Amino acid sequence: MSGFTASFKDRADAALADPILKVAVERTAGTAQAKRAVAVEAFPDFEAARDRAAAIKDHVIAHLGAYLEEFEANAIAAGARVHWASTTDEACRIVIDICKAAGAKSVARSKSMLGEEIGLPHALAEAGIGRVETDLAEHIIQLADERPSHIIWPAMHKTREQVSALFKAKHRSPHQEETIAAMAESARRELRTQMLGADVGISGANFLIADTGAICTVTNEGNAELSLVPPRVHIVTAGIEKIVPSMPHAIHMLRMLARSATGAALTQYTTFYTGPKRVGDRDGPEAMHIVLVDNGRTKMREEGLAEMLRCIRCGACMNHCVVFRQIGGHAYGGTYPGPMGAVLTPVFDGLKESRELASACTLNGKCQEVCPVRIPLPTLLKGWREKSWREGLEPRSMRWGLGVWAWVARRPALYRFGTGVAVRAMQMLGKTGWINRLPLAGGWTQYRDMPKPAPQTFMNQYKKERRR
Amino acid sequence: MSARDAILSRLKGAAPDKAEADALLVAPERPMVDEDALEAEFLARLALPSVSASHDAIDTIADLPAAVARYLDAQGEARSLCLPPDPRLMACDWRGFTLHDVAAPDEAAALAIARRGIAESGSLVFETSPQAPMLPNFLTLHHIVLLAVRDIAAHLEAAPLVGAQPRAHYWITGVSGTTDIEGSYVRGAHGPRFLHVILLREQ
Repeated sequence: MSGFTASFKDRADAALADPILKVAVERTAGTAQAKRAVAVEAFPDFEAARDRAAAIKDHVIAHLGAYLEEFEANAIAAGARVHWASTTDEACRIVIDICKAAGAKSVARSKSMLGEEIGLPHALAEAGIGRVETDLAEHIIQLADERPSHIIWPAMHKTREQVSALFKAKHRSPHQEETIAAMAESARRELRTQMLGADVGISGANFLIADTGAICTVTNEGNAELSLVPPRVHIVTAGIEKIVPSMPHAIHMLRMLARSATGAALTQYTTFYTGPKRVGDRDGPEAMHIVLVDNGRTKMREEGLAEMLRCIRCGACMNHCVVFRQIGGHAYGGTYPGPMGAVLTPVFDGLKESRELASACTLNGKCQEVCPVRIPLPTLLKGWREKSWREGLEPRSMRWGLGVWAWVARRPALYRFGTGVAVRAMQMLGKTGWINRLPLAGGWTQYRDMPKPAPQTFMNQYKKERRR
Repeated sequence: MSARDAILSRLKGAAPDKAEADALLVAPERPMVDEDALEAEFLARLALPSVSASHDAIDTIADLPAAVARYLDAQGEARSLCLPPDPRLMACDWRGFTLHDVAAPDEAAALAIARRGIAESGSLVFETSPQAPMLPNFLTLHHIVLLAVRDIAAHLEAAPLVGAQPRAHYWITGVSGTTDIEGSYVRGAHGPRFLHVILLREQ
């Protein structure tokens, strides 16, 4: 579910003008970046491990259909029901129908970006089914009636002061002491009874294990287990690309995921669920449903975005992105923010609505450097820029400007004359080595200086050297 | 056409070659672990801030109630315990304890037996069964775990069961924690705030 209520430029302007947002984003992303660096340093073979992780995902994507069928057969054999959805609407309808058939009045939801992608919170509300978000950050977001701004820390944009005010307004027995520990305790009190009383537990899946039919969740809080064990029904919504062939493959990916996301060797709670409660089991749901969601993934595989299907949703790309660190996640407008979001959002929401995201990138390559599955994010973003140009989606001023440039560039004498004039003019604008005010580009030089160009153009210097 | 058929028709391709999938796992990169000092390696990971579990050691399982009492007394908790119906635990002498096998929503302490300990991460490995419910381990404030030293393995590859899978197979690597408010780490987000491992050194 997206929030394209204004243009990207307006959203980014609003984010940059928010004095609190940058502090909040910097506190969490900065910590995450530092912790990842320590974790990677302590794993000497991390670079080779990234190659292997990419190879595992590429293998799965190449044989995706067969692995999905294997997973389906094993999940059914374990007693789960498997459903397939091509679109977000189909996925939501399946989930709501299962909830209604179970007579569910309330669901406990463990954080899932796929759930956000298909608009499940909205669909549950429309169906009149109560929803308890059990991840602490998602709980904050639910109370604030906002959207997640990060895939690992959805409430990254909130400061402790804002969270404190929110809990005091909404919790039945809020904290008295102004500490983060006291706020977390307030949420613990508030959520526990709601989790234990839910009729249905809904989760995503970090991995689907083809050869056992198990689904894997990872959380630091243990909220997935508390949301999924007590209810009568467990519903899983998962993207079809989450498949791995076997447990040892999942183990390799888990080593990469935790280090890249939070800098830990492993997330505190890693659980593999294989079907519903067994005979004699003292807890666990009576029924387990797994909804496998396409929503554009098969198209990505066919249309040059197969590498993006490697993504394991660790969030490292956004933690290291200079643009994300300035504007936070909401300005991106889609379900997924940051570099991976800028690649995915045009798939889910259309390039016309989101083409500016591909330009919200300096192409410094930092995202690709830290990606645990080596997704060439800058290349994929450039692909969207090219497609946007080919499809005529760029604004008229841009097309006209580039058209003029191309016309001149095809006339070398005119081009050299023009660049010569520009160089001489720019020489006059700066007394030192820098230009601090540039006509027609005042916005650019308002916050930084432009280096003064060389006294002569390259071609002038080249000709002079040849004459010697 | 059903959604299933539509999706699978878009994914037509050769069936995966098992050998190719296996080849992806030859000599996987793994964190360094001294296999001659597994207990020390495991305990070192257990002490990391991200795991932050305490530990004790006993020589025989008969010493378990005394070790649990020692821990609860030190924590200022009553000798009240949620005990799963595992015959190895039921055989211990729990005189002086108040025992129950269903966890209360505000359960203070629960005991469980880990099938394996993993040295590379300080993880404890569990499975569900009629003798091993899952919920108490996530509801309780103090999670107390018995782990035999001989069950400590170097790497996570030793964690899964081969063959038929239980309803849930899970790894616990620390306490319920959150960094959701400004990236600050807080223990006891929803579940256990304390994890205490009792090593059984019996051969």
